[in-house]
Amino acid sequence: MAAVKRTKGANLFIRYLILGSWALFCIGPVLWFLSIGFRPRTEIINPQPIYLPTFSLDAWHMIWSDWPMAKYLRNSVAAIFGSVAIDLALAIPAAYSLARYKYRGRDDIGFYILSTRMMAPAIVAIPIFFLFRNMGLLDTIWALMLVYAAINLSIVTWIIRSYMMDIPKELEDAARTDGASDLRILWEIIIPAVLPGIITAAVIAMIFAINEFLFTLLIASTPDAYTMSVALANFTGGSDGLIYNAIALVAFLAFVPVFLVVIAIQKHLSRGLTMGAVKG
Amino acid sequence: MSDSQLSDMGAASAAPKFPTPKAAFKRRSKRLRVWFPYLLVAPAVAYLLMITLYPGIYAVVQSFYAVKFGPWNPIGFNNYIKLWGDYQFWGALWNTLIMGAISLTTQCVIALVLAFHAYRDPWVKGWRIVFLIPMLFMPSAVAFLYKLLFLDARVFADILIRLGLIDGNLAIQSSIWGSRALLILTDIWQWTPFLFIIFVAGLQSQDEEIEEAARLDGATWSKIFWNISLPLMRPVIAVALVIRGIDITTMFANVFIITKGGPAFGTETISYFIYRTGFKFFNFGYASAASVIMLIITIVLAQLVVKRAFRSGKE
Repeated sequence: MAAVKRTKGANLFIRYLILGSWALFCIGPVLWFLSIGFRPRTEIINPQPIYLPTFSLDAWHMIWSDWPMAKYLRNSVAAIFGSVAIDLALAIPAAYSLARYKYRGRDDIGFYILSTRMMAPAIVAIPIFFLFRNMGLLDTIWALMLVYAAINLSIVTWIIRSYMMDIPKELEDAARTDGASDLRILWEIIIPAVLPGIITAAVIAMIFAINEFLFTLLIASTPDAYTMSVALANFTGGSDGLIYNAIALVAFLAFVPVFLVVIAIQKHLSRGLTMGAVKG
Repeated sequence: MSDSQLSDMGAASAAPKFPTPKAAFKRRSKRLRVWFPYLLVAPAVAYLLMITLYPGIYAVVQSFYAVKFGPWNPIGFNNYIKLWGDYQFWGALWNTLIMGAISLTTQCVIALVLAFHAYRDPWVKGWRIVFLIPMLFMPSAVAFLYKLLFLDARVFADILIRLGLIDGNLAIQSSIWGSRALLILTDIWQWTPFLFIIFVAGLQSQDEEIEEAARLDGATWSKIFWNISLPLMRPVIAVALVIRGIDITTMFANVFIITKGGPAFGTETISYFIYRTGFKFFNFGYASAASVIMLIITIVLAQLVVKRAFRSGKE
């Protein structure tokens, strides 16, 4: 009995040692990054790293006065919400079709949609660059919106499809025998029932849109279309090199809202990240 | 329809009354019924074709031309022949593979160990939130953070010196494997949580009774892990690794920000190769040829790996 207790205690010790070390490994760099955001420029890159910096709001003033930060924020928000709206409008009917009907070619269509998630952005970067150039959309948030929507459409469709497949068929059948049209069933029964799935999909699409880097880099060439992700790469002060305290602050500016919405949908996160394949 | 009516419907006691459509409409709707599911899925498919099929065809056509900014000059298979002998292209393929394989394997092992220790812990929700944090930063921000920690501010080297582990400075930037290790570490730090979240969900959904029975029979936790948990987790692991594998092999922001592909092209991934050829040297035809090769690899892998992983994950 005593031996069992001792191994149990040792197991717990090992468990918390492992989990605790990884937690430190996660948090350490984040705290250090946070401290970068609130220190004066002179203390960022030193021959000897400074571990106890002086507090300063230099970077905070700088991002709003030296750069059009408000504009970057507006661009990010507009492009992201616009793209999520496009995604939902296209994905909800598509997911309904894939989840609820039997027809020829359905599985192939579903797999085609899924497989676009695999496409490396670099593969299609050049043609899309020329496409937008010919349409006169380079350096606009419209182009960003369209690209983000395309990147996320597969994910959004598959997540919503997975939630729709969970709805018991009887719910629809009852309405159908009463003569309700399919669209009405979708609108009045299915969509309310899969609302958690729709929200999960929207949140995940939002995160990927915020993160997107390559296309934004190619499409946006002036602050007119810079988003936060790409604006970071342009916080350089000529001969001064990278202005890291501004970079760190903007990183946290983008992090906070993402963190809050992800906590709100925590329960659905694993299902969302696997496009519905793993149910949490 | 109001919310209260909907919740009544959810109770399924009384089905809602909908007006019966007219007979004429019914006849027309028969043909509509056949096409209806196609109509629903068509807009999404059309949108995706625009962003995959159109660029695919464009890239194939362009790959047979020499394209700078001026006119397109047809050169047949020359781009492909040149690509075949281009050690930078093969190098980029190799770098993508080797860095991806090391990174993915390490992340998978770490995430499995963490998940197995965390999933029955009373504070699993807390661990999950803490472990999630790196994943929720923009990749470009994380790339700058690691560039600063390891290269520009040399915090890592300074800590090692203080601990007495090294005396001089670390020459990360000038060493190929040093730079690769830095990219791999950045990826591990940011994306191990992705696998962790999925693995925890997979473990939590397993039947607790099987494990309990094994424990009563005197099985140790390592036996339970190898003989029960891991086999049951196989479909979950497959799906998670496929998704993560795709994202690792298309890595771009980290390379762009931290190493620019150097030193000596040692960290140049295939994405970065295409970007550099196209948008730095404006050699669009040549970059398109590389894109086409990548596209073929992607399609083959999609058919062989992704289809299988997602089919097994569904069950």
